[in-house]
Amino acid sequence: MGKRSKTSRKGKKAWRANISSEDIEDFFEKTTRDALSGGNLSAAPSEDLFHVDKSHDLPVKRKIEKHKERVLRVDSILKKNPFVQLVPSSKPKLKKSKKTIVIEDKAPKQVQKSVGDDSVMADLWGEHESNPRKIFKNPSIIPAVEIEHPGCSYNPTTESHQDMLAEAVAQEMQKVYKTELGPAPVPLTIEGDTLSEDERYFLDVDNFSEGEDNENVESEVSEAGIKLKENPFVQLKPSSNTNLKKIEDKTPRQAQKSVGDDSVMVDLLGDDIKEDLKYFLEVGNVGEGEDNKDVKIEVSEAGNNVSRKTKRVTRVELNKRCRQKALRKKETKEKAKEKILNEIDSLPNILEEIAKEDEDKQNKHLRRVIAKQEVLKIRPPRLGKYKFEAPPVQVLLTEEMTGSLRKLKACCTLARDRFKSLEKRGILVPSKQIRRF
Amino acid sequence: MPKHYRPTGKKKEGNAARYMTRSQALKHLQVNLNLFRRLCIVKGIFPREPKKKIKGNHHTYYHVKDIAFLMHEPLLEKFREIKTYQKKVKKAKAKKNEELARLLLTRQPTYKLDRLIRERYPTFIDALRDLDDCLTMVHLFAVLPASDRENLEVKRVHNCRRLTHEWQAYISRSHALRKVFVSVKGIYYQAEIEGQKITWLTPHAIQQVFTNDVDFGVLLTFLEFYETLLAFINFKLYHSLNVKYPPILDSRLEALAADLYALSRYIDASSRGMAVEPKVDASFSSQSNDREESELRLAQLQHQLPSSEPGALMHLVADNNKEVEEDEETRVCKSLFKDLKFFLSREVPRESLQLVITAFGGMVSWEGEGAPFKEDDESITHHIIDKPSAGHLYLSRVYVQPQWIYDCVNARIILPTEKYLVGRIPPPHLSPFVDNEAEGYVPDYAETIKRLQAAARNEVLPLPGVGKEDLEDPQNLLYAGVMSRAEEAEAAKNKKKMAAQEKQYHEELKMEINGSKDVVAPVVAEGEGEESVPDAMQIAQEDADMPKVLMSRKKRKLYDAMKISQSRKRSGVEIIEQRKKRLNDTQPSS
Repeated sequence: MGKRSKTSRKGKKAWRANISSEDIEDFFEKTTRDALSGGNLSAAPSEDLFHVDKSHDLPVKRKIEKHKERVLRVDSILKKNPFVQLVPSSKPKLKKSKKTIVIEDKAPKQVQKSVGDDSVMADLWGEHESNPRKIFKNPSIIPAVEIEHPGCSYNPTTESHQDMLAEAVAQEMQKVYKTELGPAPVPLTIEGDTLSEDERYFLDVDNFSEGEDNENVESEVSEAGIKLKENPFVQLKPSSNTNLKKIEDKTPRQAQKSVGDDSVMVDLLGDDIKEDLKYFLEVGNVGEGEDNKDVKIEVSEAGNNVSRKTKRVTRVELNKRCRQKALRKKETKEKAKEKILNEIDSLPNILEEIAKEDEDKQNKHLRRVIAKQEVLKIRPPRLGKYKFEAPPVQVLLTEEMTGSLRKLKACCTLARDRFKSLEKRGILVPSKQIRRF
Repeated sequence: MPKHYRPTGKKKEGNAARYMTRSQALKHLQVNLNLFRRLCIVKGIFPREPKKKIKGNHHTYYHVKDIAFLMHEPLLEKFREIKTYQKKVKKAKAKKNEELARLLLTRQPTYKLDRLIRERYPTFIDALRDLDDCLTMVHLFAVLPASDRENLEVKRVHNCRRLTHEWQAYISRSHALRKVFVSVKGIYYQAEIEGQKITWLTPHAIQQVFTNDVDFGVLLTFLEFYETLLAFINFKLYHSLNVKYPPILDSRLEALAADLYALSRYIDASSRGMAVEPKVDASFSSQSNDREESELRLAQLQHQLPSSEPGALMHLVADNNKEVEEDEETRVCKSLFKDLKFFLSREVPRESLQLVITAFGGMVSWEGEGAPFKEDDESITHHIIDKPSAGHLYLSRVYVQPQWIYDCVNARIILPTEKYLVGRIPPPHLSPFVDNEAEGYVPDYAETIKRLQAAARNEVLPLPGVGKEDLEDPQNLLYAGVMSRAEEAEAAKNKKKMAAQEKQYHEELKMEINGSKDVVAPVVAEGEGEESVPDAMQIAQEDADMPKVLMSRKKRKLYDAMKISQSRKRSGVEIIEQRKKRLNDTQPSS
């Protein structure tokens, strides 16, 4: 605060003028403001400032309640009316009852377990049925434990034993025949003289050139063909001549080759010539043939080559064609009619044929179905890389039949039998795995 | 792959979408082949054969849904957990931290298969239906030698043995056994439980070998599942007898390898009312209080008690009044060997015969310690022996070969013993699983047995009316078959008469059809009769063709198929008969 500028203090006026009245003014201002706002707040008692609101704030409460109580009409309809008896519906009731049973069951079960059993096990298949889930069962019709033929008894009757022995022998012989009658295996080494360097070189060269030549011929022939198509009359002779010439050129070259190869090549060439000749003939036919074809060729040629002149089709010709077309149509129609009439006449024969065919088909189907079933009875479906191979039949030899249980030469490979049974039923995939010892 | 997992460019339908190869499945499940195989076995998932094999004929295909089924299997997660745990153990071992490795091994995660059993067999009947394979496998592994190389532990072999004994004890107790067939491979048994026919095969008492074309890893996985299954089934069956399941056996008998006997005694004792009250296992007895211990001792005493009086032991038929709900066949089976006493010689298969004899109501003992009665017991009626000659002969008993038991059981009558006596070659052992009528060929001995059965029915049927004293005399029943020889002859005569009447009937039939064209001569000669029969047959066949025309196509096809198979069978029978004729012709000459 800087020093106040000095004023004159001479006279009463000057005294009055120079006295500060700020505090008084402040006071007055404050009091007027308080009066306007309703009294001094700091001086007022707390009861005046705050009060407990005991009045019911109705609108708010109603709002909340309204929100709470609002029930949709659909719900109100579905809501259980205590005065209306429910119509019992089967499903939900069943569920409920089941649940209650389960709950009831649980308690006694536990009790029973603790009292009666000191074991860890419990009855898996208790009173309450579990919901049976659909599980894919193996479709095999082969039983898990196949009972053997009566001939496999430890003391069989002679007839059935002979029967079974025959089967066992057949099984063994089948294996033998398979190896004997099957195709001979490819030998790993072949006897013969060794080739010298030069011979080998020649062989290689021959093979190479032969391939090339063939290709050449073919491409030339096709080229010639294209040329022929383009302009049948003009360029025909020269092209064919060149072609033939080329072929003639080739023949001496091929004569150098081995004899065996030669014959093949000659044949090939012969074919080529034949093809050329065919082209000649066809072209000739086209030239001499009907007008239609001629015209068509002309038209197509006109498309290709604009500069070429086209023969104008006269009105007379057009009319002629139109007539011919109609005539042809009529003829075909009549022919079709005649055919149908013929067929109607031979209807019994046709019916017979159809019946016969049906019967054949049926028989075939039947045979196939039976064969399939028979196969499924003895063999599983093919499940993997290897086929199932049946284990050998366990049957006593005639000299081993003693009739005594003590002297019986019994089977000691039951584990294999089980394993094969699993494979046979399609549970395991047959494998060729042979473990080393 | 389920529909919503299908990546773009994959097939939506058809075989390409429905099936996946095994390697695809492995990739999809993110498991190795070994684990996949195990999962498939315990879950019961089999490879399939699609109509069109997309990837070629040399692949194995699985249905996509099957693989999805495996994908959601909690066991898969468990297996993975075990795998990672094994890695931990391995690591500890590699770091030479033996302490940690040992600690880890004691807390290995384990898994249970009971949920899977419940899933695969929703009802008890389902489980029984699928028991054949299970029983055969467990019986096989019960006799296999434990082997380190094949990872077959002694503990598992013992467990298998225990399970088989428990099963056999139940079968003999409930008299559920129906058929027995001794073949070269082993002994086939067939039992009937709750209407389900259960067939199983037990190996002969010789050493089984490990062959190199068998993957024992796969078989052991099957065994693991089957052990659990059989344990639960035994549990259920024992509880149905009101017997506590893991049975507590007499340790003395167990040591003497007489488990079956010990078990039957246990069941006998328990079902007399002791099983209901709570007992404690021997392992728990140390921690239990004195009162319970004394109770246990009391129970054991009661176990011991019957062994002092011989004869009352294997006699399981005592409580007739208890089982009211049993069917006719069970009753027949139960009383077949009633009041007969058998003694088994050392060389006969003891376990098999013990099972069969007790299942058919007989009493049995054997040579050795712990046997219910000794060899010199006077009341023994049959001595089973398989030697060319017996040493000391008791006159009061019959010495027979073991086959006699099996044949009696299959025929359901007490057969005459003379053919089965010691030193003779017994008659052929016929398979009871063959239906001779359907097959068309009846062996000679089967016919003999049939005649005996018919005779026995005449003989035995009035017996209940006569009274029990007749039945109780075993000798009487035993020789019933022998005594009825005369009747047998009579039956044969009756048969002939019947055949003659049949011929005449056919003749008359023919006459009717022919419109009495010619007067038919009365039946005199055999040859004429034989000729007439096929004629009538032909006519009958013509008649039979009529409904065939009226059949629907499907039925007709089925009928045709049946005809074909029948004709095949007939031709087979003809071959057998021809062969037999030839045999008969050659044998006398040679």
